[in-house]
Amino acid sequence: MLPILSLIVLIPILFSAVTFLTKTKEQARISALVGTLITLVLTLYMYFSFDSTTAAMQFEEMANWIPSLGISYHLGVDGVSMPLILLNAIVIPLLIVYTWDDVRSAPNRFYGLILAMQGAVIGVFVSLDFFIFYIFWELTLVPLFFMVNIWGGSNKKHAAIKFFIYTHVASLVMLLGIFGLYFNAWSLTGSPNMDMAHLISQFQFFESGILRDAIFLALLFGFIVKLPVVPFHSWLPDAYSEAPTAGSVLFILLKIGGYGLFRVMLPMLPFTATPSLMITIMGALGAVSILYGAFLALAQKDLKRMIAYSSISHMGYVTLGCAGLVSLSVSGAMFQQFSHGLIMSILFMSCGVIQTSTGTRIINDLGGLAQKMPKLTVIMVLGFMASLGLPGLTGFIAEFLVLTFSFINVPIYVIIALLAIVITAAYHLWALQRAMFGTFNEKLGEIVDISSYQTLSMGIIALLVLYFGLNPSPVLDMMITNSEKIVSLMAVMGV
Amino acid sequence: MVDLMLLAPEITLLVTGLTVLLLGLFLSAQSKKILGYIATLGCLVAFALTLNSFGTTAVMFSNSLSIDALSQFFKLVFLTVATLVSIASIKYTDGNDHADEYYVLVLFATIGMMMVASANDLMVLFVAFELASLATYGLAGFEKKNPASTEAAMKYFMIGSLSAALLLLGIGYVYGATGTTNIPEVAQNIGLLASSPMGILSLVLLIAGFGFKIALVPFHMWAPDTYQGAPSVVSALLAAGSKKMGFVAAFKVFITGLIALQADWQMAFAILAVITMTYGNIVALSQTSVKRMLAYSSLAQAGYISIAFVVMTPMALTGGILYALSHGFMKAGAFIATAAVVYMATSENKDILKADHLDSFKGLGKRMPITALCLTIFVMALAGIPPTAGFMSKFVLFSSTIESGLVWLAVIAILNSALSLYYYARVVRYMYAMPAEGERVSEPAPYVVALLLAVVGVLAIGFWPEPFVNMAMEAAKVLIPGGI
Repeated sequence: MLPILSLIVLIPILFSAVTFLTKTKEQARISALVGTLITLVLTLYMYFSFDSTTAAMQFEEMANWIPSLGISYHLGVDGVSMPLILLNAIVIPLLIVYTWDDVRSAPNRFYGLILAMQGAVIGVFVSLDFFIFYIFWELTLVPLFFMVNIWGGSNKKHAAIKFFIYTHVASLVMLLGIFGLYFNAWSLTGSPNMDMAHLISQFQFFESGILRDAIFLALLFGFIVKLPVVPFHSWLPDAYSEAPTAGSVLFILLKIGGYGLFRVMLPMLPFTATPSLMITIMGALGAVSILYGAFLALAQKDLKRMIAYSSISHMGYVTLGCAGLVSLSVSGAMFQQFSHGLIMSILFMSCGVIQTSTGTRIINDLGGLAQKMPKLTVIMVLGFMASLGLPGLTGFIAEFLVLTFSFINVPIYVIIALLAIVITAAYHLWALQRAMFGTFNEKLGEIVDISSYQTLSMGIIALLVLYFGLNPSPVLDMMITNSEKIVSLMAVMGV
Repeated sequence: MVDLMLLAPEITLLVTGLTVLLLGLFLSAQSKKILGYIATLGCLVAFALTLNSFGTTAVMFSNSLSIDALSQFFKLVFLTVATLVSIASIKYTDGNDHADEYYVLVLFATIGMMMVASANDLMVLFVAFELASLATYGLAGFEKKNPASTEAAMKYFMIGSLSAALLLLGIGYVYGATGTTNIPEVAQNIGLLASSPMGILSLVLLIAGFGFKIALVPFHMWAPDTYQGAPSVVSALLAAGSKKMGFVAAFKVFITGLIALQADWQMAFAILAVITMTYGNIVALSQTSVKRMLAYSSLAQAGYISIAFVVMTPMALTGGILYALSHGFMKAGAFIATAAVVYMATSENKDILKADHLDSFKGLGKRMPITALCLTIFVMALAGIPPTAGFMSKFVLFSSTIESGLVWLAVIAILNSALSLYYYARVVRYMYAMPAEGERVSEPAPYVVALLLAVVGVLAIGFWPEPFVNMAMEAAKVLIPGGI
């Protein structure tokens, strides 16, 4: 059988190298598009032959890599990772279409980095060995660092370094946690093994309760900084808003933090010494992020910064859903990751269009753009409505599931989060009203609507938001199958 | 009958050195270019011979030389560095009338380092140590007309001589107490040393002596000036090669010879390791000269490797030894890339003293794409970003501290590693995010070849670590015979 998982990781990386070597813009974008389209075709093939009724790993690949340290090349997908791979495989080719006409310096490097990023992110989602998981995890830093640093805004150096160091430190703390898991399992079983499932299954046998909690918290820290949640979010607004549009979208597709919560944290949770404390931590962080992120978004003058802060608010639902600890709240959190990737792509792309055509992102300097940019307005309004959780769009499904079903176990945090819904609606509508509607601000000069390439790519994503909003089951079913498995483990432990 | 075949690598280098010296008498400055190729060939043959005999164990010359996995592993490290340096020097010495002397010194320094790796006797070790040191003193001052190079050599020589004296005194005390200079015999008679006041004194002197070569804080004062002032290719030899000589000597003397005094020296190494990595990283943050930055980062890296002495488990030693090899590739590569930039800057009439300033690296991604890409890989490896040799070695080394329960040490090392990312990333930022001040230049072939070889090494250890880890484990078993 075809080693399909290796292929969807290697093809983007291979095409990234090819793209780096191209000479003209034409060659660079064609090479990039070809690479991502092959990945998309393979991913779609995988998606359609995926069995969403089982929580078991599918398309597994396994080979020895460093036997003396128990490290193997172990790949596989299940309902936790499949939707996120699908998200990346769909949005990244559209991102390349979106930037088709954008004149940029060094297009070969620009597209090369996008492809390298795709390979690294998919690599994280398919890794079942902690060692390669960590390698791909760290690799995702490099393209984004360059992306922000080379093509970013006026404050790009600061933002790039801040992002790099902040999340690198978090990764290293996570690595400490992995070491802890690894060596304790080594001393228990007598042989080294870096396999994720093995290490997580051995976790329950560690004698010291303090050690178990420390390992859990170290890993949790690594994941929630990447997610991010308040108070570890401060790298995000700078990085998201300084990055070029493509970079912001790549940041959005970097769903590895939340993924870690489902893949590693939830299965480990019942075996910590103080599960209720851990749930409290996760629930509180989630609720605070939702509310605080919304307040911060309300206060922003810069459209892109507002979207960046709204992202913190939305990511809070992922943590809250995890803390909810029932299968549907966890599925909601998973769905939030998927939906957020689509919605935020539209929002950042819209913001990029506005900046290129008007030269500003300050909300008060805009106004009445709807008259000049009808096509953009339609797509953007859809994106904003999805982002504030209008029923019929993906954002609603995710938030509804999280809020409704988390109420069973963590009602207080849900009540806190509910307050944010009003604020979320307020800043979205307020921004939209000031920027897009009302009288046209004549100072902005000649404005042209979005190009056909951008209409195409943003339109497709908008349709997906609508489609999965009306019919979430193609991805939600596989999420539910897996969250049921995760949660049933907790029920056994009486958490 | 001594099996001289086991000394074939050293003999090869010796014969190559003498050939270079002899040919130098007859060749004109222009045709001395060929000497670089001869030296490279010699190093490659010696490398092949060493690799071929890896795993053979023997003692010779009244037990004063020992050929084992440890010595052979380090010989491979030294020969790797010497090969890279010889290749890169072909451009550097082009048209220089003293090219013959240059290559002889490189080759003899390498022989010295290799003898240190095989030394089984403190006196042999000292003599080999000095052979390597004297040759590198000369190399550091090779640019006689460049005041920085002269200063580098002078500082290196003065402090080097002092440390040699301290080392010799330390050896003298060990001999005085135990009645032998043979390292295994010292270990047997260690009780005599431990019970006498000379014990602590000799430890202090030996740590100071080796600490100088390893450039542990506070014995590091010479390193930044010397690495900065010396020709960049020579800095590569110093940082990647002669520093490892200090490590293998310290491994042998402390772990094989003075293991009974472990409690005393282990604490000293713990303190020195922490101070060295922290100090090196913090000072490196503010450097604007890339060579000086690499010098301080080299201190930090020495601090990491010293963790092996503190943890002292087979895994830690494996990590330390693997780190030595990885650092050989990474650091030699980084200095050679800097050498290529300095070459470009000086050929554009830039002041030699400022040629390695960060400004010379502006827009290097456009001006010298291969050099810039290779340097990016080296600094990312030095920072420990996977999948490179740097990550692999740090992984084994740092994880060994967790394994033995020294979580505080792992935390300090990891925080340091994160800190280092800042100044490494700055170089990358200058290369790719700053506009170029000049046109694209053609990159000299010797530098490119050396850089690509080093990149292959860095990535090979990152992607396919199994054989390297196994070799390092074999080497570690020599130090701790108990096995892994």
